Amino acid sequence: MFVTSLPTIATMIGANRIVRGPAITHPFGLSPEERRRIVERALAMLESDVEPNTVWELEEVSR
Amino acid sequence: MVRAVHYLNQFFAGLGGEEAASTPPTRIEGAVGPGRGLAAALEGVEIVATVACGDDFFAEHEEEALAEILQLVEAEGPELIVAGPAFGSGRYGYACARVVASAGVPGLAAMHEENPGRGAAGAALVVPTGSSVAGMRDALPRMARLASALAAGRELGSPDEDGYLPRGFRRNHLAERTGAERAIELLLAKLAGTTRTEVDAGFDRVEPPAPVTLAAATLALVTEAGCVPQGNPDRLPSIRAAGWLRYELGGETSLATGRYESVHGGFDVTLGNEDPNRLVPLDTVRELEGEGRVGRLHEAFYTTTGNGTPVAASTRFGQEIAEDLRARGVEAVLLSGT
Repeated sequence: MFVTSLPTIATMIGANRIVRGPAITHPFGLSPEERRRIVERALAMLESDVEPNTVWELEEVSR
Repeated sequence: MVRAVHYLNQFFAGLGGEEAASTPPTRIEGAVGPGRGLAAALEGVEIVATVACGDDFFAEHEEEALAEILQLVEAEGPELIVAGPAFGSGRYGYACARVVASAGVPGLAAMHEENPGRGAAGAALVVPTGSSVAGMRDALPRMARLASALAAGRELGSPDEDGYLPRGFRRNHLAERTGAERAIELLLAKLAGTTRTEVDAGFDRVEPPAPVTLAAATLALVTEAGCVPQGNPDRLPSIRAAGWLRYELGGETSLATGRYESVHGGFDVTLGNEDPNRLVPLDTVRELEGEGRVGRLHEAFYTTTGNGTPVAASTRFGQEIAEDLRARGVEAVLLSGT
């Protein structure tokens, strides 16, 4: 699965499981707490059935 | 009348099926087989001869076969060459593509867009057809239309307009309206759900793999963020990387500041270098491994620089990394992109 702040590009190149990270320069956020939320979201996506090119948003992630 | 030569395999030339697949190149007067239907639809073009070759003969003696075929073609003094349709047949499609690409006169080959021979056509035109001979009736008029246009010396329109597969060429032309007007028109079309492109994205489409149970799986970390050990010992380029690297993690629990850095030249790496876990979240994944949320973290992470990298190179990196991961029993990947 792919964590990136550019899900449009990820979709265009055919990635199927995409989580939108907060920024190009720090796709896993700035703080360890934020990182934990993003990684957990990504792991949940790996454990889920998805349609092709699915993008999951994060909640409450500072940009 | 423009003189044309038609190239066929042994089957469509009526020489026989697989048992005749070793037939060497041979010349037949006028149009035969699908060439008859083609001839009926052509305007201003006459098929003066058919050159045929067995599929196996071409595949097994490629250079010899091609040289003989080209000699037979040249002897007719044609101004145009047409090959196929080969539909989904790989051997035949490849032969058609090579003949048309090497004939030295304008020409076209016809085959299914996923025919593996398509790549050998180079700058020659390829008319898309169905994947089997059931597509013959559709294919012939389309081949005839494009061949007639070539014979007339007409400048071709876009692949869509003139019915050939995109060759990746971009041509400049002077538009009648301003960029602003055309941009708005495209935006409106997109909002209405109609999009079109003249540039084939050419990216693989794969079905999403089935979900995994991570508590019982091995997870690997992969990145294109250019993360490497401090000092970049293996000299990963900051742009246009030619390969990827694999770094053992040992028992490391974090990509420690000062021990790892990013050499990516496509974004500001200040925040990433302050804490490389922001690019490759080793610390978090180790925690989750300790908690049993993830069965096992793979013993190495994989890295490259995704910056100005051609699609072909990136595709190769992806295939190679996936192959390596698979061979080592990895079932899930957390990939970070910058």
